Amino acid sequence: MGSFRLTKMSLRNLGRKPATRPYPQQPARYTPRTKGHIVNNIELCILCSICQKRCPATALTVNKAQGTWTINPFSCVQCGTCVRVCPKKSLRMQPEYTAAAAQMHDCTLVKPEPALDGERSLGSERPQRSERLPGSERPQRKPRPERPSRIGC
Amino acid sequence: MTAVSFAFGLVAFGLLAPVLGCLLTGADRIITARLQGRVGPPLLQPLYDVLKLLAKEKRQLQPFQGFYILLALILAILAGAIFFAGGNLLVVVFLISLSTLFFIIAAYSARSPFAELGAEREIIQVLSYEPMIILMPAFFFMVTGSFDVSRALSLELPPITQIPLIFVGLLFVLTTKLRKSPFDLSFSHHAHQELVKGITTEMSGRTLALVEITHWYETVLFLGYAALFFVWGSPFALVIGLLAALAIYFLEIIIDNSFARVKWQAMLGWSWLVTVFCAVFSVLSVLVVKNYFL
Amino acid sequence: MAKHTVIPFGPQHPVLPEPLHLDLVLEDERVVEAIPQVGFIHRGLEKLVEKRDFQTFVNITERICGICSFGHSLGYSQTIENLMGVEVPPRAEVLRVIWHELSRVHSHLLWLGLLADAFGFENLFMQCWRLRERILDIFERTTGGRVILSACNVGGVNQDITNEDLRGIVHILEGLVDEYNELVNTFLTDSSVANRLRGVGYLSKDQARDFCTVGPFARASGIAEDIRSYGYGGYGLLSAFEPVVAEEGDGYARCKVRALEVLQSIQIIKELVEKIPDGELSVRVKGSPVAGSVAVSRLEQPRGECFYYAKGNGSKYLSRFRIRTPTAQNVAGMVHTLQGCDFADVPLNILTIDPCISCTER
Repeated sequence: MGSFRLTKMSLRNLGRKPATRPYPQQPARYTPRTKGHIVNNIELCILCSICQKRCPATALTVNKAQGTWTINPFSCVQCGTCVRVCPKKSLRMQPEYTAAAAQMHDCTLVKPEPALDGERSLGSERPQRSERLPGSERPQRKPRPERPSRIGC
Repeated sequence: MTAVSFAFGLVAFGLLAPVLGCLLTGADRIITARLQGRVGPPLLQPLYDVLKLLAKEKRQLQPFQGFYILLALILAILAGAIFFAGGNLLVVVFLISLSTLFFIIAAYSARSPFAELGAEREIIQVLSYEPMIILMPAFFFMVTGSFDVSRALSLELPPITQIPLIFVGLLFVLTTKLRKSPFDLSFSHHAHQELVKGITTEMSGRTLALVEITHWYETVLFLGYAALFFVWGSPFALVIGLLAALAIYFLEIIIDNSFARVKWQAMLGWSWLVTVFCAVFSVLSVLVVKNYFL
Repeated sequence: MAKHTVIPFGPQHPVLPEPLHLDLVLEDERVVEAIPQVGFIHRGLEKLVEKRDFQTFVNITERICGICSFGHSLGYSQTIENLMGVEVPPRAEVLRVIWHELSRVHSHLLWLGLLADAFGFENLFMQCWRLRERILDIFERTTGGRVILSACNVGGVNQDITNEDLRGIVHILEGLVDEYNELVNTFLTDSSVANRLRGVGYLSKDQARDFCTVGPFARASGIAEDIRSYGYGGYGLLSAFEPVVAEEGDGYARCKVRALEVLQSIQIIKELVEKIPDGELSVRVKGSPVAGSVAVSRLEQPRGECFYYAKGNGSKYLSRFRIRTPTAQNVAGMVHTLQGCDFADVPLNILTIDPCISCTER
């Protein structure tokens, strides 16, 4: 039985840098594998909706008719199941966490070319005007972001 | 101590002690954090805490609780003023005891089970340190011939040279008075404990802010007790006393971080053992020195 | 006639890690009776199994509890693999054991910190958790999550740890051992800690057996039972495994058992890293459990023996999934130790069973 058993370690701590970091004054540190948020390369996505069926948090909604893939990043629990089951490997997990926001919002990506028939090569041109049915509207285009960002989408 | 010196002491202590206490408490938190490997809060965090508490809504279970705490604060200020004006040490000791008693009554008045248990533990704490704290003026009288604190400034040698064991005893109970492990049974500043927040469980808002300010005044006063042992009739005495007080405070922080909280039986037993030991041997040494060497 | 006060301990209490309610009947500072009440964190997760694909459900089992997270996903996966007759590749089995043993190290370090906090030794609490951060960093680098790993799935594991990374992990663990030994020394030999731990919550070997206690709680009273000795999964590769047992039966013994189990886990990880085979990481599980099939599985979680039961009904939703957690088993013993103890010992008695109320109530 003795006393002051922890004093040596405490005094050593005085000489070292603190083990804690003042976040958010100093930015968070991530590893390459950190599960932060999901991004989708919409050009590769075939809107098969396997990811929606397998999501345990029901955070994904895929609408093949409208060509949209929606994720609610605040419902997502970053389990990575969607990334693993995606047949075209268009889904990826990025390290940064979703930023805090005052209101939950969805993040929707729109498939650039409407799926008219069969396969379509990636990044191909829009179909010719003559191929469209008369009177059909061009689908609304959301401005595509440069690269998926952390806030909103 | 004259009326003028008392008035001067009241104003000086009343205004300077909370500043000093706040800085000491803030430094305590930063040093504790660094000892534990953390960064720690800003230095003025205790001030921010008190300001926040003062701004809170008034919620009291019992209307007199705030009044008792206010009395405790006023008595602590009076005690400190008398001490630093050079007044009677016995009066100081008893005024502080009365202040603690009002603190205990405030906790009992809330009639909540946690606060009652905390108050009971506070009473046991008082029992454990009172003997030593009362012996301190008695030995001071043996060494200087008067209970007046101002007599320390006309000594030839600092009291520590004649009653070192009483200083050791005082250090032992200072841990209890400053509310640090291993003897922080009733109200600990940080660690989680089974009594939620012990004696201050039912205190919030303005009342809790006054408790914190009382703690600042008491810290300065108790460090004054310790510094008294290092003061004598030399121009450097006050500087040495101040440095001694700061060193003792640092030592208390290290002790706080090296011990778990013990149960009340151990605290009571050890405190009385140390008190009796230091008293007996100090009496013997003082009598021996007086009879054979003077 | 002494006055009886009734103190409501919990569900919110700074010293409890999880919500548990106890009505403590006190006489001055002595507990005369303790009446427990659970149910504050019941989320109906066992009912949710009827609504989630059995392969996706593994992500829900790992969220039953934050501390034994990987253990539950492992137990669930093992049960479904038993149910459907799936053979897990050997490398996956060893990786699972490595993660589970790391999970045990982090859980025991967390518990040691909470114990120190309960008896007012805040510094020791911070040091234990500072060491625990290194384990959480290992988790983040290998799986991407610090607490919820999402590493286990039905049929194997989700990602690999390269052999070089495995050696790096062993290196980190070895670097931890010196500081860890200082902490264990404080727990076991410091006088103020001994004042709080010795003789607290004594349970004799017969009483422990009568109350059917499991895990370190039982091993501290001399019962040498550990599911890992049966050599399931990756544990079969170990050359020898002896459970850590203590005889004193009080809080001190339970602290000693858990402190030594950390060192034992580090040894297990070291041995397995040398013996890990190469191979696949998981097998694809197709189809659904056959109607009427049942399977059970046992696992030695950090808190004790955990028992899993699954029943299939032919669809991709299970008809029943039940977990009997170690804390649920130990609550009876805990209530017994609370009778007649000092009030200052109440948090210690509760903590020495390592209560994981989230697991108990799911």
